[in-house]
Amino acid sequence: MNLSRTLGAVALGGLMAVSGAAVAQDEQITIGVSIPTPTHAWASGMNWHAEQAAARIEATYPNIDIVLVTSPDPSAQASALEDLVSVHQIDALVVLPFESEPLTDPVLNVKNSGAFITVVDRGLSQPGIEDVYVAGNNPQLGQASAEYFKTRLGDGDNIVILRGIPTVIDTERFDAFMAEIEGSGINVLDDEHANWNRDDGFEVMQDFLSRFPDIDGVWAQDDDIAIGVVEALRQAGREDEMFVVGGAGMKEIIRGIMDGDELIPIDVLYPPAMIATAMDVTVQKFVSNGPVEGRYILGATVVTQENAANFYFPDSPF
Amino acid sequence: MSDRTAGADSVLAAERVSKSFGEVPVLFSVDFDVRAGEVHALVGENGAGKSTLMKILSGLEQPTSGTLRLDGEAQALPADGKSEALGIVVIHQELNLAEHLTVSESIFLGRELSRYGFLDRKAMRTEALRILDLLHVQIDPDARIESLPVADKQMVEIAKAISRDARILVMDEPTAVLSQTESEALFEQIERLRAKGVAIVFISHKLDEVKRLADRVTVLRDGQLIATVDAADLTADAIAQMMVGRELSNLYPPKKEPDVDAPVVLSVRGLRAGKSKHDISFDLKRGEILGFSGLIGSGRTAALEAVVGLEPMFAGEVKYDGVPTRFANIKAAVQAGIVYMTKDRKGKGLLLNTGLTPNLTLLTLWDHVKGGFLNRNSEEDAMDKSVRRFDIRARDDSVNVGQLSGGNQQKLLLGKVMEANPRVIIIDEPTRGIDVGTKQQIYHIVAALAAEGASVIVISSEMQEIIGLCHRVLVMRDGRITGMLEGTEIAEGEIMRYAAGLKENEVHDRLSA
Amino acid sequence: MTVSAHEGEKPKARSRFKLDVRTLGPAAALILLCIVGFALNPAFLSEGNVINLLTRSAFIGIIAIGATFVITAGGIDLSVGSMAAVIAGVMIIAMNSAVESMGTGVPTILLGCGLSLILGIGAGWLNGVMTTRGKIEAFIVTLGTMGIYRSLVTYFANGGTLALDFDIRNTYRPVYYDSFFGLPVPVWVFAVVAIAGWVLLNRTAFGRYCMAIGSNEAVARYSAINVDRVKTMTYVIQGLCVSLATIIYVPRLGSASSTTGVLWELEAIAAVIIGGTILKGGYGRIGGTVIGALILTAIGNILNLTDIISNYLNGAMQGVIIIAAVWLQRGDFSRFRRAKK
Repeated sequence: MNLSRTLGAVALGGLMAVSGAAVAQDEQITIGVSIPTPTHAWASGMNWHAEQAAARIEATYPNIDIVLVTSPDPSAQASALEDLVSVHQIDALVVLPFESEPLTDPVLNVKNSGAFITVVDRGLSQPGIEDVYVAGNNPQLGQASAEYFKTRLGDGDNIVILRGIPTVIDTERFDAFMAEIEGSGINVLDDEHANWNRDDGFEVMQDFLSRFPDIDGVWAQDDDIAIGVVEALRQAGREDEMFVVGGAGMKEIIRGIMDGDELIPIDVLYPPAMIATAMDVTVQKFVSNGPVEGRYILGATVVTQENAANFYFPDSPF
Repeated sequence: MSDRTAGADSVLAAERVSKSFGEVPVLFSVDFDVRAGEVHALVGENGAGKSTLMKILSGLEQPTSGTLRLDGEAQALPADGKSEALGIVVIHQELNLAEHLTVSESIFLGRELSRYGFLDRKAMRTEALRILDLLHVQIDPDARIESLPVADKQMVEIAKAISRDARILVMDEPTAVLSQTESEALFEQIERLRAKGVAIVFISHKLDEVKRLADRVTVLRDGQLIATVDAADLTADAIAQMMVGRELSNLYPPKKEPDVDAPVVLSVRGLRAGKSKHDISFDLKRGEILGFSGLIGSGRTAALEAVVGLEPMFAGEVKYDGVPTRFANIKAAVQAGIVYMTKDRKGKGLLLNTGLTPNLTLLTLWDHVKGGFLNRNSEEDAMDKSVRRFDIRARDDSVNVGQLSGGNQQKLLLGKVMEANPRVIIIDEPTRGIDVGTKQQIYHIVAALAAEGASVIVISSEMQEIIGLCHRVLVMRDGRITGMLEGTEIAEGEIMRYAAGLKENEVHDRLSA
Repeated sequence: MTVSAHEGEKPKARSRFKLDVRTLGPAAALILLCIVGFALNPAFLSEGNVINLLTRSAFIGIIAIGATFVITAGGIDLSVGSMAAVIAGVMIIAMNSAVESMGTGVPTILLGCGLSLILGIGAGWLNGVMTTRGKIEAFIVTLGTMGIYRSLVTYFANGGTLALDFDIRNTYRPVYYDSFFGLPVPVWVFAVVAIAGWVLLNRTAFGRYCMAIGSNEAVARYSAINVDRVKTMTYVIQGLCVSLATIIYVPRLGSASSTTGVLWELEAIAAVIIGGTILKGGYGRIGGTVIGALILTAIGNILNLTDIISNYLNGAMQGVIIIAAVWLQRGDFSRFRRAKK
């Protein structure tokens, strides 16, 4: 994220706030929420949080109606957006775009219908369309993880890194981690892609274990990978030699941290609940007199035993 | 009599050409030439080297030694079809047509007519129609090749060659799958091309055709040149003798009529199958060789495939040893002792990319299973026996069936169905595309089977074969049995009259003969 | 050519143990790969790594043995990866819900395994029947079931991950992690399946029928072979193999999600083809398939053991090695020589 773009969006958002007339409390408001159909655990957690938030918001504000739609691919999502405008005549849209490029125009069309736009996680390819942007912080996730490694390890200690699917998200996390770890004297033995997948995490870690006799820490970057890593450590009987740090905030991992697991002592959030944040901010547009427009970059909070209970959602699928 | 020097007027000549595949020599210093405006027949048993010589003449194979002269100039022919540009066109025995193209697309494949950069479909269609008309065949230029019967496919190949203005036309057994009428139309075209000055190399097993058509005949045997002679100087018999190198007086074995009171083994009444709208009925006696004659497409194959359960039977009754039976599938028929030997040796009969033994035992594999496992020794024993009994010749055990000559494939296929120890053997086109020597062997095997008490049905489009081999002949036309001939009635003219629909007798009255 | 043959003489018998270039090629590729792996990192041939490699190849290997039958008989099965995922998912759900009534002991696990076998055989039978009776191309049928199974597992898992009850997992864990005479259980299962597959393909009438059908279906039909039944059986064998692979997969991580088994179908098919089986059917080699599975696993393993190749190029390396292995397998170098001449 670059700072000037952030500021620009905030400034733009501010202007819009002035022009946007406050809506009377008793008027019926419809908010459309468009997200991808869950195909992996993180997305299904997001889906669950969206449903929870919708129920809570509708209970709190009787005049607000939430329409939640999920779409299996970008073109289906574009059609869903058209329906939200023509059928449901939404006043605001919360959207997590499948892909940036193909959905920029459809979102712009919604905007042109007069709706308030909140974009979550994946930005659009053209700035200034969204009124509100809510996202997790990938570089900070890498940086915060590295900071934790620096507190546990020192000069001459060895770590290995398991990366995700080769994408921008993965690169941002990895580069920030490496920048932070530099100069600490900690050796990064190697990094390999484990594709945010348990099976790959297991196999890559097995191979790291065959290859390196001395490993003190593993940055798995993701909780699914971390689970595979832990199995590989158990199989090799080397779970006492090192610790593992994942990322995202899977409930099983949070639970372990609450219970004082030494193998995975912390987690760094990239919370699927960010969709709820986005929906709440959007609702505030209609119920609060304060300005809400701008960019909300959620902190990559470090979950420790002390604060873990705040991030534990036992009913969420993630 | 023999003309060994390449004359000045020879268009294409091979001088002292030899060819070996690996260490196996297949042609030994052969001379061959063809002149403008002549038909030069190339004959010999399967494996004699005809196909190899043909491939060398068309550039598909390069000779190991020797010289090729085109218009008197020594030159190496370009490989793989490129010699078409030099005017050398080959019609292969294995038809080389893309099954999904239409007839006119096939005829113009590789040299499409175009107008303003686009295909000129109309012109191609018209031209295709004109050429097909010349050949006196009614084939829709828009029909897909896959929808055509094999004889029509052959005509398309010939049309394709004619359309190419060939200077030298090499035809490898063009009439093997053609009916009499179709062959006549082809001969007419060949004569027309000859008159136009085209040099034609004609490979055939049918010596009467050779005699009728050829100006000169070259005989090959075991890769050696036996002789090149003027066709007028020799009888078909003499040519045949040169081919096999032995007396061929007894191509057909003496007929041994079955006993008059021999029991009926297979009795079919009111059978309806395939596309035919008519019923057929017939009886087959023990020890009898029953011929099914008729033109290609007269419904013989469909009817008999239905009897053995390979095709659905829409109506009718089959009695086997007097017991009403309906074979649900071919397996039931085989286990009851009825086997069917297909005419489509390569498409339905044998696995070409597999060895000899697995092919031989495939139909009766259950005989070689012991305790759930295949018994290789018993398969090998069966192979040994068949090799001796049917004189199957292969270079060694590692060759695939596809590498065998047609005659050896046919004998292997016969061995395969005979593994079932059948009492009734249905043979569809027993000698299609095989050489005289093997034909003779197969005729003697069939006669011996009948003499031993088996019953044989022979479906054949070769009139001579039906006449020479069968005790009784049924003639089919358009899905019906139009005539039945016995003993001395069996003659070419009579069969032809029934086949062509000029005559019809009430078969059913005579069935219980 | 019959020129040199003698009348009625039995052709020279081929030695039973004739060196088969189609199996030798992949074996040579595997040995070469091992040498390269050892040169890049001696840890490649350490006991631990070799055992990891064998265990890992068991999933793809077992599935590929089933695929050898399907492909030999001229079919193809694209649904195996998602079939494995959905079977794993249903096993986990069933075992979790059986905890209350049956406890966390062996009976619950046997229930899960039994269910897996039933589902695998059933799913294979369905693929088979739709291709044979339904006369739909195998590619389309299994592409369809692939999508169906994949979305079923996503649905069962609510888009997330299905996790096996912790206590059952502890009971079940040894099935993946324990060893037996020095080799992990999955390796034994792989070996047994491979031997059984070899016998079935090479020493029974069924195997011969598979080759005949793949080689030419019409010939098979005219040779009194029940083509539909044999083809359906190959899919059933494939389903059985998938269910066996799933039974040893579930205890590894105790979970299944929509990403389980993604692309296993292509890896299995690749293993089969690397091993010398012909994709269009008619010729199958179980031994080659085993080697093919080992080659595929070894490539990933070696890439993890070194860092001389950019991570981003892993896929390219795999592609190059797969193509090279198949080229070695064809073993027809003479064609090159002839072309040069």
